[in-house]
Amino acid sequence: MEIKNFTIEDLTRLTKNGKVSVKEIAESVIKEIEKNEDTIHAFISIDKEKILKNAEELDKKEKKGKLYGVPVAIKDNMNLADTETTAGSKILKGYISPYTATAVEKIINEGALIVGKTNMDEFAMGSSTENSAFFKTRNPVNPEYVPGGSSGGSAAAVSANEAITALGSDTGGSIREPAAFCGVVGLKPTYGRVSRYGLIAFASSLDQIGPFAKNVKDAAIMLEVISGFDWHDETSVNREDIDFTSLIGEEIKGKKIGLIREVSDFQIQKEVKSSLEKTANLLQKSGAEIVDVSIPHLKYALPAYYIIAPSEASANLARFDGVRYGLFSEGKNLRETYEKTRTEGFGTEVKRRILIGTFALSAGYYDAYYLKASKVRRLIEKDFEKAFEKADVLLTPTTSKTAFKIGEITDPLEMYMNDIFTIPVSLAGLPAISIPAGKDEKGLPIGMQLIGKWFAEKELLQIAYALEKGLK
Amino acid sequence: MIDIEKYEKLAALNLSGEEKIRISKDLEKIINYFEMLKEVNTDEIEPYVYTKGAKLFLRRDELGKTLSKKDLERNRKLFNGKFYKVKKIIGD
Repeated sequence: MEIKNFTIEDLTRLTKNGKVSVKEIAESVIKEIEKNEDTIHAFISIDKEKILKNAEELDKKEKKGKLYGVPVAIKDNMNLADTETTAGSKILKGYISPYTATAVEKIINEGALIVGKTNMDEFAMGSSTENSAFFKTRNPVNPEYVPGGSSGGSAAAVSANEAITALGSDTGGSIREPAAFCGVVGLKPTYGRVSRYGLIAFASSLDQIGPFAKNVKDAAIMLEVISGFDWHDETSVNREDIDFTSLIGEEIKGKKIGLIREVSDFQIQKEVKSSLEKTANLLQKSGAEIVDVSIPHLKYALPAYYIIAPSEASANLARFDGVRYGLFSEGKNLRETYEKTRTEGFGTEVKRRILIGTFALSAGYYDAYYLKASKVRRLIEKDFEKAFEKADVLLTPTTSKTAFKIGEITDPLEMYMNDIFTIPVSLAGLPAISIPAGKDEKGLPIGMQLIGKWFAEKELLQIAYALEKGLK
Repeated sequence: MIDIEKYEKLAALNLSGEEKIRISKDLEKIINYFEMLKEVNTDEIEPYVYTKGAKLFLRRDELGKTLSKKDLERNRKLFNGKFYKVKKIIGD
């Protein structure tokens, strides 16, 4: 069998009926991995024997679960008990997870076949997966280009059929941007929808786990599996509305789609611009109404984010000191041991962000930087509240440009610009999905971002599905 | 010019060579970019602290599963089975 064209529903129907064994699926996935992995390098750790062994065990179990036999890849910043979890960093090389992240446990409980742990920008800091301490992942659409980041390995794995679906994490665009670059679907849930327990923290007020998939419905099924309250994460939200699939396929007549006026203030690649217009037209043809909305503080999201996220990171990454786990580099005294371990263990981008954060939180600068950015964040949230009085979802390109070549961007500020349309959404804690919407002249995928109201993933996915159908 | 050494010290980092020069330059540029936030009037605006839907709650004071000694020792051997051994701090 070839798993390439299977959706989660198709595949689980076959596995549950016993028409296809999980082992057959595992063999087919391994075939794809053997074909692609030498070029793509999506995985940091992958063990073919273990995939087969796990598949055999699943075959012996009761054939049940929403993901029974579905091959899933996991970003390497999520703990999976008894496996190495590095977050793409040398400082965690060799660290063995003593426990499993809640989101990962949930997919295992639904019968998923874990394929391996995927490559990422170190501690999820980056937009190209070039910041991984180990190697660069390549874009399966064209290996000269980056897959996006920071969840580049997960996006590439799904795009190259090395998994049917994958988990990633999104802090400022780390699911949506690689999804756009690799031509797959990527969903960032509302902040609090999915437990962060067991996810290695980057910026705790922004981090959220979400799925990559080949299509909108698969992403919705994955969200149903991973969402929900967790005692281990007090920012996870206790809500009854955990059905995200029942509106899929329903018509979207009368839905209001907001186009953000300020998006046109930014430089946008011409093919991306025409894809935006085409997408809006398609939605209109499906009976939706296009409305004009304004996010006046849109351009301030990027500087606010690059104060807030590094500030939180500088505190979160203080735990990596060589004492309890990970790299240990001995100095003359404790202080020197900390410094040596951290200086050798962290890569340049991580150090850069730790220092930005340390600066923004330091005495004398806190009010002017961190506090100011937190107030701007509030204004951005208010802007979205107002926009959602007029619209049910908002539509923007996921990125202003398609993927760039490996090594093409070396200036950090220029790299940060990749996330201009995803970051405002993250600051407001909103859910958003990137779906493939055509290709540019070079054949590189273009992604469109639909942004939903807080906790309105059900409606967001309904509209995304209608759009996906129209685009096909 | 920002005093990079001050922040290195606060962050327990000790940069040198090319990397130090590069990061110093980048920080200068990035912090300069933050200046645009000064254009925004934030008088009377409350900072964003809690995300929507988040509620503070307390957990029941019950015993639960925690990491075992065995779990911990896989990543660093415990001294005396109870402690992590570090360099002397007092009197150093």
